[in-house]
Amino acid sequence: MKKNKLKISDFSKESDQLVHIDPKDFIPLPPPYDKIEDEPIWKEIKPEYRETHECTLDDTVAVGIPKPKTPEEEKELVDKFVSGLRKLFEKENNWTFLQQLMLSLEHCAKCQTCVDACPIYEASGKNDLYRPTYRSEIWRRIVKKYVQKKPFSSFTDGDIDLNWTTVARLIELSYRCTICRRCAQTCPVGVDNALITHELRKVFSQEMGIAAKEIHEKGSVLQLKVGSSTGMNSEVVKDNIDFIDEDMTDITGIEVKSKWDVKGADLMLIHNAGEIIAWPENPGAFAIILEAAGINWTMSSEAVAYDGINYGLWYDDVQLARVAIKHAQAAKKLGVKKIVVGECGHAHKALTVIADRVLVGDLNVPRESAMTLLEDIVFSGKIKFDPSRNDFPVTLHDPCNMVRLMGIVEPQRRILRYLCPQFREMTPHGVHNYCCGGGSGFAIMSAHNFTNWRVAVSGRKKFKQILDAYSDCPGPETKKYLCAPCSNCKGQIRDIFQYYNAKEKSNLIYGGLVELIVNAMVDVKPGFISWEDAF
Amino acid sequence: MAIFEQGDVKIDVDEDGFMEEPDQWNEKVAVALASTEGVDELSEDHWKLINYLREYYAKFGIAPMIRKLCKETGFPLKKVYEMFPSGPAKGACKVAGLAKPTGCV
Repeated sequence: MKKNKLKISDFSKESDQLVHIDPKDFIPLPPPYDKIEDEPIWKEIKPEYRETHECTLDDTVAVGIPKPKTPEEEKELVDKFVSGLRKLFEKENNWTFLQQLMLSLEHCAKCQTCVDACPIYEASGKNDLYRPTYRSEIWRRIVKKYVQKKPFSSFTDGDIDLNWTTVARLIELSYRCTICRRCAQTCPVGVDNALITHELRKVFSQEMGIAAKEIHEKGSVLQLKVGSSTGMNSEVVKDNIDFIDEDMTDITGIEVKSKWDVKGADLMLIHNAGEIIAWPENPGAFAIILEAAGINWTMSSEAVAYDGINYGLWYDDVQLARVAIKHAQAAKKLGVKKIVVGECGHAHKALTVIADRVLVGDLNVPRESAMTLLEDIVFSGKIKFDPSRNDFPVTLHDPCNMVRLMGIVEPQRRILRYLCPQFREMTPHGVHNYCCGGGSGFAIMSAHNFTNWRVAVSGRKKFKQILDAYSDCPGPETKKYLCAPCSNCKGQIRDIFQYYNAKEKSNLIYGGLVELIVNAMVDVKPGFISWEDAF
Repeated sequence: MAIFEQGDVKIDVDEDGFMEEPDQWNEKVAVALASTEGVDELSEDHWKLINYLREYYAKFGIAPMIRKLCKETGFPLKKVYEMFPSGPAKGACKVAGLAKPTGCV
């Protein structure tokens, strides 16, 4: 039985909190994670913060805009929102997404097919607030009534009251969707609710200067200023890669030397710089594989270009363009034949798909996914493998941007089927797979109790899916590996495993694809992947 | 931004309790911040780790790679988690007065 019946009109009515989240409503996880009383207790949002910031949506907060002090401030927020929305429908201001947006505005048949595809809605226990159509319908009604000023739209399209509460809650609600596009995939008409989330965030950022701090101020702004969202400047990144090379040489017994700024190289590899800091074995494994295959490769030490992240993808077209152009310029400067994007899903979408709209002329350097490159290398016969070294249960997480969006489904699977004797699929998988729950920037957002929400709610379906893939060997006596070829997904999965203590309870570790490839290389000392060192 | 106050320690912190002004750090601040991380007493090993983090931060302006931290202090990651239950980034860096790590880390 559903407890709450949330109406569209409730959204604009001021109240202490629109909905509550109750762990009792969550979909159950398999044992030993099935006891509600074992669910970690959520951190509280501090009362003094609640008093001064907008926290009236659900039990968490992602952006937390300050409450207005005067009626003028209230009005200003609403007015800016309406004028920003207007720009979304002007060709000169939104030529990138206007066509898809018009389709999503006009053609939703309200059939609610998309609702059941949403992992957040399902995992929350079908909380109406998280229906993909709830957010979209509010946006649609606002557009009809206040932007298009359609006569009698309140009767034909449904009414909505636009006030400070509506806008403030909509800012928060635009950060309760991971933009995984499972809803868009299932829509019989082609309506894209995730695009609506994106376009809302875009208005908030580009027109109102409002965005989640982690992805804007500490993300794309920092990347453009220092060179990387991690804060690494060019010197630090080189120093860190030197360290990784030495470390990998020790671990593998193979001399590892990463390449910087090689002019005319066959390919320029761009990692998500978070890998270098948090998962150094990933860039290390890439270097080992590329060297062993005899490839003429390089990385660029140019600011911005040694960090493949492009957080603008999730919230701001201008920031996206600025970063994408830097990436392409670095490749052009070196005169490389192509750019290869490392194991980072959103970097794939940003640089290989969306950037097509800004990289014109000779900036349109060919771009390729690491997945296809790795497949070519693994099956080239240049490297000797011993798949028995990977004889433990392995399942594969499909990063939404790489798989659902771009259709890169089989290359990574062909590698795993060849190198991992106990490879098994999740259900569902491939283009139908579930998001890790950390998409659209969530994996790096942890202020207040947002980690509780993004793990227990938005990541829940994924965790269940992972555990179900090992239902034949759930206990800690079996070492298990989750292959997640995406930095953002790894960050989220790390937090899920830590939250539920999955290393201890299930002996479950995670990592990328290249680590499995190196672990199976005959020339490498056995034990590149280690359960003992994983934490 | 919020203010964290304990005894005679009063500092500006972000939503996660990381220092906004790392220059305000001193040993008393470390002890106070450690208590928020479930660390009641700072042992010699704790200080070794904290000092390493601070020296690295002073030199490079960011937190070190976790693997580098482990190798150069000689503490395996497991030991770091034993010392700081929230881990190297959210626990140790916070107590050492570093700003919250940024990016996909």
